Amino acid sequence: MPLLQVDAVTAGYGDTEILRAVSLRVEADEVVSIIGPNGAGKSTLMKTIFGLLHPRQGSIAFDGHDITHEAPHRIVRLGMCYVPQVANVFTTLTVEENLEMGAFPMGKVDLSDNKERVYAMFPKLRQRRRQLAGKMSGGERQMVAMGSALMMNPRLLLLDEPTAALSPKLVDEIFERIARINESGVGILMVEQNARQSLGMAHRGYVLANGENRHEGTGRDLLDDPNVGRLYLGG
Amino acid sequence: MDALNLLKACFLLVPACLLGCLLFSRWRWRVRLPAALALGAVLAFGVAGWLPGIMDYLVSFSIMAIIYSILSLGLNAQWGYNGHLNFGVAGFFAVGAFTMALFVTSPPSGLMAAYAHQWFGLDAPYLVGMAAAGIMAGIVAYLIAQPILHLRADFLAIATLGIAEIIRLVFQNERWLANGPQPMSGIPQPLSCVFDQAGCGWLPEALQSALSVMQPRDYSYLYLAIVTLALAVTYAVLEAMVRSPWGRALRAVRDEEDSAAMSGKHVKSLRVQSFVLGAVVIGVAGALYAPYMVTIDYSHFKPLFATFLVWVMLMLGGSGNNKGAILGAFVIWAVWSGTGFVTDYLQVALQGLAPDVASRMSFLRWAFVGLLLALIVLYRPQGILPEKKRVSRFIDGEPER
Amino acid sequence: MIDSAQPAADKNMLTGAADAGGAEAVDARDSGGARSSRFVGGVLLLVLAGMWVAGWLAGTSAEDMLSLTAWGVMLGGIIALGGIGLTLCYGVLKFPNFAHGEFLTLGAYVTYGMVLVLPQSNPIWRFSFGWELVVGLLLAAAVTAIVAIVIDRLLYRPLRRHQSPLVLLAMASLGMEFLLRGVVYLIWGSDFHFYYSGRSNPALYLPFGLRIQADQFFVFALALILVALLYWMLTRTRIGKAMRATADNPDLAQVRGINTEQVIAWTWSIGAGLAAIGGVMYGLASQMRPDMGFVLLLPLFAAVIMGGIGSAWGALVGSIIIGVAMQLTSAFLNPAYGPAVAFVLMVLVLLMRPQGLFAQR
Repeated sequence: MPLLQVDAVTAGYGDTEILRAVSLRVEADEVVSIIGPNGAGKSTLMKTIFGLLHPRQGSIAFDGHDITHEAPHRIVRLGMCYVPQVANVFTTLTVEENLEMGAFPMGKVDLSDNKERVYAMFPKLRQRRRQLAGKMSGGERQMVAMGSALMMNPRLLLLDEPTAALSPKLVDEIFERIARINESGVGILMVEQNARQSLGMAHRGYVLANGENRHEGTGRDLLDDPNVGRLYLGG
Repeated sequence: MDALNLLKACFLLVPACLLGCLLFSRWRWRVRLPAALALGAVLAFGVAGWLPGIMDYLVSFSIMAIIYSILSLGLNAQWGYNGHLNFGVAGFFAVGAFTMALFVTSPPSGLMAAYAHQWFGLDAPYLVGMAAAGIMAGIVAYLIAQPILHLRADFLAIATLGIAEIIRLVFQNERWLANGPQPMSGIPQPLSCVFDQAGCGWLPEALQSALSVMQPRDYSYLYLAIVTLALAVTYAVLEAMVRSPWGRALRAVRDEEDSAAMSGKHVKSLRVQSFVLGAVVIGVAGALYAPYMVTIDYSHFKPLFATFLVWVMLMLGGSGNNKGAILGAFVIWAVWSGTGFVTDYLQVALQGLAPDVASRMSFLRWAFVGLLLALIVLYRPQGILPEKKRVSRFIDGEPER
Repeated sequence: MIDSAQPAADKNMLTGAADAGGAEAVDARDSGGARSSRFVGGVLLLVLAGMWVAGWLAGTSAEDMLSLTAWGVMLGGIIALGGIGLTLCYGVLKFPNFAHGEFLTLGAYVTYGMVLVLPQSNPIWRFSFGWELVVGLLLAAAVTAIVAIVIDRLLYRPLRRHQSPLVLLAMASLGMEFLLRGVVYLIWGSDFHFYYSGRSNPALYLPFGLRIQADQFFVFALALILVALLYWMLTRTRIGKAMRATADNPDLAQVRGINTEQVIAWTWSIGAGLAAIGGVMYGLASQMRPDMGFVLLLPLFAAVIMGGIGSAWGALVGSIIIGVAMQLTSAFLNPAYGPAVAFVLMVLVLLMRPQGLFAQR
């Protein structure tokens, strides 16, 4: 049974329809990448999976539970965490406090182990843990955002354009971290503009266009597919 | 119908016909004018004929409702057109009223000078006083707009509230300006001579004797005509400005400030202009208020009556819509007056049971109006008459004005 | 794709002078164009010094000016008690609650009702109040907190759900201001009241000819303690951090699993409770009047905005500055203009540094 199963989901804002009968699945321990042109509905799909938007049709199941109309704070408790694309850290809180907020639903427990694990994954954060998240660079902020989402030991991590607006060197670094997170046993579903690199490290990928499934396959296959390459990978 | 009621009906013709012009605004003038005249005649003589008892009350009710209408129009120019959260309407209202009073009264002389102080008294004609009131309110608005207008909405609300309070404090404490905490009295009413025994010098004999039936206390009938004319002129001017390129630029700035700035509209000066325009209108309302009350003091310009009620009126009527502003003013003034009757009745009814509580019944109105505003914001924030999306009078197919 | 990940060193080039040299720091503007806190603080101190001079020139002795300053600090304590509740609510809920003054009024009057009903005890130490006031105060804080939560549930929460613009919330709160004030007038009438009429309120004699009532000391000490407690709560407790997170980014807070509605309920209870205490202290220090909340509203907002919305220490510092300014200007201006002075100072700070003295952004 896949960790995440999205079946024919239709969703949108107000009167508009952005997603039309979109389906995908993520197996445990997989990295799945979603690529596609701007406006294809990739971010909308993430928000719908995480419960920030309610689908009009279709169903979403996580680890056997039906989460189609579930609220975000309950989805978090089931083991899925989400890193939004923008405004993904609390700028007036310190790095450490951001991490603590990531584990908020766990209640009043000792978070030292969880924090240790995150600092082991992102050593730079350990040095800067008393700094305000708002004063950090873009790459560091992304690490805070991802670290915060990892605090609850999720089984699935949703990443919305994790490498947006980062320099090439940082893009490499972030992808490397994502790979390591996956190796530690966390499934990854990510939306990416850096289509080549994300497909290169993904087990499987989906191409989304105009709110619909276009292509599907392993990362390698999609990279090699000339149709995909011409339209979505920039040649 | 006796002669008195007939004459009163004649005076009522003016506001009634103007009301017709407003109601039939969708029709071309060739149809509109006779229709309005017809409606006016029906209303005026109908009321005089069938409801003579409440005529006097209707007139005084309407005068206040119309003054509030002008206040709402002014606030609409600021909030409706440009999104300025002005919680300091009372301040401009006070400036207008006191300027008017200072201009049209004469400086106190003789025995009075010991008791009544005012900065100056020019004994000016009514219209000059009105112009001065508007201009003064506009100047005050312009001066305060410089430091505060660019603040974000909630800070602007707090700042305007503060300024209104300061203005009220000044009028309350500065004896030399407008008699300090004591009221300024004896504000002359325009054309009041029409109903005096002596009569006006310039009125022909025949007319004077015809009007001799009416008493000085019927002056409000004449004043109603005056304020209705003022409202009509204000409404016409504001409506014309809304449909002009200036008005469109204003709404562009309100709705989408960044793109308006990029298309070359000078955002800052447009915002200041709409703020000042609204203040001028509010000042004019003050100029109409002062002679009607004959006596004014700082307590007339406290936030409840002079700011808060106007907001309820505009929110209920429909922000961004001038007709809505007028509608809201009449409805809420009716509600306010109505609650006055209710609380008076309750006060009498409870007198025997709980005299303490009875004396406080009037505060029930505050609570009620507060609740009303909350309910309006919750259930119908766009008001009864929502803003019509106008592009220009050339495109909408509206008849030429 | 432009790299926004400037290394920390680069960023310092913009604000570099601020950290490097002390003298230039005063003038440096941050990336938003606002002046530094130190600059604004310096200007404010200069203004206060100017008021000192003006008062002295108007004929008040230096000793009296010192007394005024001390009383100003005490007045600042009273304002601070109302201010810390306001800064908390304003920071988390993002709109100015014009009805906040009525929490003060309500707290004061409910306590008054309790004091009338409870048996009177002897005054504590040299204060003018006894244990019945303390009991009444705690009850009043609870009652006010409940009222605040009810209003939020019925009025502000539906507006939040509709994603209403904040101006509508501000307007709704204005309606609540008149509703609550009307209710207070209805229940308790329009007379002024004292908690303890006829009880003497002896002053403590201090060096430099200062005479301060024990009550005033109590109020100031209480303000300090509560500010420190609030600061501790916001920085060290889980719920406090959740409040700051919700204030920072409510959407992200929800994504992280924080139940923002519960956080908001806590914010209202604490904010309103603090305001109730403030109201009682104000009523104790001067008198109870049904419009006391509205009279204090402008100084409260001025203090909170000056100090930086959401900052507990900012509210205290802002309140003290406002309190001192209001007292100092009474030496050469009509004391009725107190709120006007508070207002002018607020506008001054807004022009130089809109986020306030202690803001972090």
